[in-house]
Amino acid sequence: MSETVAVPENLDALQTLLASESVVLPVGNQTKLPLAVDEHARLVSLRELSGILEYEPSEFTFTAYAGTPVAEVNEVLRERQQYLPFDPMLVKAGATMGGSVAAGLSGPGRFRYGGLRDFLLGIKFLSGDGEVINAGGKVVKNAAGFDIPKFMAGSLGRFGVMVELTFKVFPLPSHRQTIAVQCSSLANAMQRMSDAATSRWELDAIDYRPGTNTVFLRVAGPLEVNQVLVQEISDLWGQDVKPMPDAEAFWQSVVELDWSDSDLSFAAKIPTHPVVLRSLVPWAEQTAGVDLHVSVAGSVAWALCESQHEVDQLDHLLAENSTAGLVVRGDCRQPKIGFWAKQDIASAVKMAMDPTMKFPQL
Amino acid sequence: MTSLDGLSSIFPSQRFVRDAAFQAAFESDGLTAFRAKPLAVVIPETADEVVAAVRWCHENSVPFVARGSGTSLSGGSLPVADGIVIALNRLNRMIELDPSERIAIVEPGVVNQHVSDAAAPHGLYYAPDPSSQSVCTIGGNVAFNSGGAHCLKYGMTSNHVIGCKAVLATGEVVTMGGRSVEAVGPDYTGLFCGSEGLFGIGLEITLRLLPKPERFHTVLVGYQSLLAAGDAVSAVIDSGLLPGALEIMDALAIEAAEAAVACGYPPGAAAVLIVELEGPEEKIEYERRQLNEVLATTGAFAERVAVDEADRLSIWRGRKSAFSAVGRLSPDFLVQDGVVPRKRLGEALVRIEQMSRESGIRVANVFHAGDGNLHPLIMFDGKQQGALERAEELAAKLLRMCIDMGGSITGEHGVGVEKRDFLPEMFDPSTMAMMERLRLAFDPKLVANPGKMFPSTEAPSLGLSGLHPLEKAGVISRE
Repeated sequence: MSETVAVPENLDALQTLLASESVVLPVGNQTKLPLAVDEHARLVSLRELSGILEYEPSEFTFTAYAGTPVAEVNEVLRERQQYLPFDPMLVKAGATMGGSVAAGLSGPGRFRYGGLRDFLLGIKFLSGDGEVINAGGKVVKNAAGFDIPKFMAGSLGRFGVMVELTFKVFPLPSHRQTIAVQCSSLANAMQRMSDAATSRWELDAIDYRPGTNTVFLRVAGPLEVNQVLVQEISDLWGQDVKPMPDAEAFWQSVVELDWSDSDLSFAAKIPTHPVVLRSLVPWAEQTAGVDLHVSVAGSVAWALCESQHEVDQLDHLLAENSTAGLVVRGDCRQPKIGFWAKQDIASAVKMAMDPTMKFPQL
Repeated sequence: MTSLDGLSSIFPSQRFVRDAAFQAAFESDGLTAFRAKPLAVVIPETADEVVAAVRWCHENSVPFVARGSGTSLSGGSLPVADGIVIALNRLNRMIELDPSERIAIVEPGVVNQHVSDAAAPHGLYYAPDPSSQSVCTIGGNVAFNSGGAHCLKYGMTSNHVIGCKAVLATGEVVTMGGRSVEAVGPDYTGLFCGSEGLFGIGLEITLRLLPKPERFHTVLVGYQSLLAAGDAVSAVIDSGLLPGALEIMDALAIEAAEAAVACGYPPGAAAVLIVELEGPEEKIEYERRQLNEVLATTGAFAERVAVDEADRLSIWRGRKSAFSAVGRLSPDFLVQDGVVPRKRLGEALVRIEQMSRESGIRVANVFHAGDGNLHPLIMFDGKQQGALERAEELAAKLLRMCIDMGGSITGEHGVGVEKRDFLPEMFDPSTMAMMERLRLAFDPKLVANPGKMFPSTEAPSLGLSGLHPLEKAGVISRE
């Protein structure tokens, strides 16, 4: 395990630190611990480089230091009736904007307008040799140069130290309403998710909890419109549809990965599609110490596991399905699970972005 | 002269073309000011043939330019004089369309509009809608991260590309992303999108499809000044609405469109604003009331609400034809694609007007006002000595203004040949150096679309400019 975490207070201190250490892993508040440890690297936390630098509500953009807590951003945006539609994860746990980008995590709201990658416009970061790189831009539309910001979404801190981030934001819908739809089977749930996703309703989120065989549908917009749409869904699926008065707590439990009553300290993200779900969901149901939540209309699954033992099983199952997963919480040996394709271009890109090999290999 | 023997053995003779007359069709693209004649044009019909051609180019250090329909407005598919063109139009298979997963997997030569056509029976569509969508191909859209009128709400092409199998310039075949909109690890798909053909060629592209909006509410509003139209955009945005499209045209652009397609825009308007809301019936009913209230405060002198789909399309026809219509006002023109922060739109327009006056060059303006994406249209007569150069000087000033205002030199057309000298003005040396290193990682021999995006000494020959042949025929139009 790494030694103490260095916490530079400004850009100069960060550059000095970068120059003095041979291998560095940038971290935020380490809310996704398996991604924020490395036994050979000096951990450098960006948490003191925090705060919103620019916010122009009428531009739909803001720029913040990488160490800014997501909670702070959410609050400032909310004051101006705006938001990050992709539901950043682990907000209460203390996630920073930089950590969210590095981990590439998006919550249930990803369904409607796209994920973190789609709202990230620009990044100022330090390359391993201390150079300041300004990638992307600060306007909502920009096609100049390579889209390095997108590449950094999910790059796990292995290519540079992000210092400032510019995001696109959207107007916050005035109301949200959620209903729970009881399903009879996985197949039934998948059919209903698909029907809902292709419907005229333009839903805000479509999630599924296999444990209770329930699909959760969220509408967002003016109250009177939400009510009409919810009524239509209720008429369609009859008694299977139940209102969710405590919906906000439910969605928050998904975002915080803490919906389970059991002590399931490990959490993994798995990008999914129907073939993977048909293998993953039955496994989760049959395995003690595993609780699965399917989000974004079946595009991603979050697996909570009790111990490394279940994570190992999951690793095996994903490998069989040629699918990659990422452990984001828990005391685990290796965050990469399942099948990660090895391609020559990956090492060439690593050399291009990090010629001095300042950051650990993925 | 490079021997092309190895390359010619990959293709049957009718798909390995060195015939001068045939090649002439590939000399130029949507940026007609530039042209260059390639050594040969190869026309693969399978992904394996593309891979073989790229590997041959890599091994023999022969440059290649991948090309779809050649509609690039930045000269992105301009051939290289000592290289080959890989024409991808025959790789036009829709490999898979899965309505339940809401994805389509397509070959690069599939035409943008055809994806939406194929998805339509399932109530789905492919959101990015460049104005050339009736002919432009997905491969080119991916390479240039194309935009369209609906980017504010749904983003550009890269927001809709979730996976891509590609042959890189080294000949390595890679799979990026997959069938899920979510992924783990660095986003290679995102990096590949918008790489302007410098990394390689997409072979199988996985696209995200969206449900077709149930209802559109399209309003055309006339203003006595351009500034008032710009202020109206801010008012709409500040009201909390998120329109699918927010477009402005100035008097000159309106005049051209009117002459070309008789679109019936309000006579005497100094500017028109098009606002389009889209979504479920009830939501649009609610939002249109909100929009009416906002527009009522903006000093508009005329308003036309599309009463049906035909009427909506007629409003859009004026907008979408505007640029090719300018061909009626001027024998030649350059179209620019700069971006400024939305709040500085008014200031930018005043400065454009000033530059136009000072230089004596007429400039028409059409723009995606919602995202600050300007399309100034610089008119000139190529037959007059030095006219093109003067127009280019004005274009350069406009681009520098966008950079100074904190915007971008391109919102959706890409850098290509046209703006390559401006990239180092937008990005500092260390960022440029990193982009150059990235390019070399994908293409150590610099064979993939050389001369694009990065400043280069290889200047393509300037030729006649004017409307693209397809524009003249009214098949395509510019954003």
